[in-house]
Amino acid sequence: MYYPSSAVTQEVMSAPKAPPGRFTLLYFAAASSFTRRQHDFLVAPLPLAQLYDELEKSYAGIKEQVLSSCALTLNLDYVDPEEEASKGEKGAVIQPGDEVAIIPPVSAG
Amino acid sequence: MASADRPQRVFEGEQSLSDTNVFVSLTYDELDASKAMARVKSPKAGAVVLFAGCTRDSFNSKTVTHLAYSTYAPLALRTLLAIAKDIHRQYELVAIAITHRLGRVDIGEESILIAISAPHRKAGWTAGEECLERVKDRVEIWKEEWFEDGGIWRSNRDGAAGVPVAEERS
Repeated sequence: MYYPSSAVTQEVMSAPKAPPGRFTLLYFAAASSFTRRQHDFLVAPLPLAQLYDELEKSYAGIKEQVLSSCALTLNLDYVDPEEEASKGEKGAVIQPGDEVAIIPPVSAG
Repeated sequence: MASADRPQRVFEGEQSLSDTNVFVSLTYDELDASKAMARVKSPKAGAVVLFAGCTRDSFNSKTVTHLAYSTYAPLALRTLLAIAKDIHRQYELVAIAITHRLGRVDIGEESILIAISAPHRKAGWTAGEECLERVKDRVEIWKEEWFEDGGIWRSNRDGAAGVPVAEERS
């Protein structure tokens, strides 16, 4: 399905600062088309392994349609949610003020 | 609110990172080939290779009206710098400069410039090709292809058309 070419599209703004007790989650390209948002401020701390389940609650279908083909960064470093899940309680935990981003397949050039 | 024809700018001018003889940048402005070449020219270099990636007017015979690029600027710059430094070292280049354009890019305009200077031409040619492939493969920049009836996200990995570009809610 195509949207009309008059549809509004926006660049992601330089990330606004998250309010206290929250972290910033950035959406790009297909992820922002799906959520129809540039970012969300989610409650922290949150174990990284639980992030995708949290998102599925707000955006039904996002895991299968978007996240399954995306990568994830935490403060500009790539992280693997499955690997963090396998570490159990020692897995990375997203802290207040962190910047997390969903990285869809790239198309530079 | 910005329209597809005038995507909102996250910054003005040029954002860049650099290291010794290595320069990478992002800009919403038209690219300048002379400037890119000037960044790498040197009396030590017998060859300057300049690659210009331009927007094509069709994809699989469907008419493309224009492209629009978006990015996660701090991460894209970091990845560009890592690639440029690696290519610079691997091919023993004199210098390398990569600039990628953002926002709307009309047909026939350049979306990326890679300028490379090397003591001899062979290293320059090869390095330029490898550099472009790695940029396309890894740098956190996303291309929207706009057709006469709407837009679509492109993926370099599988060449497939992604999710339609939807109307923004926030």
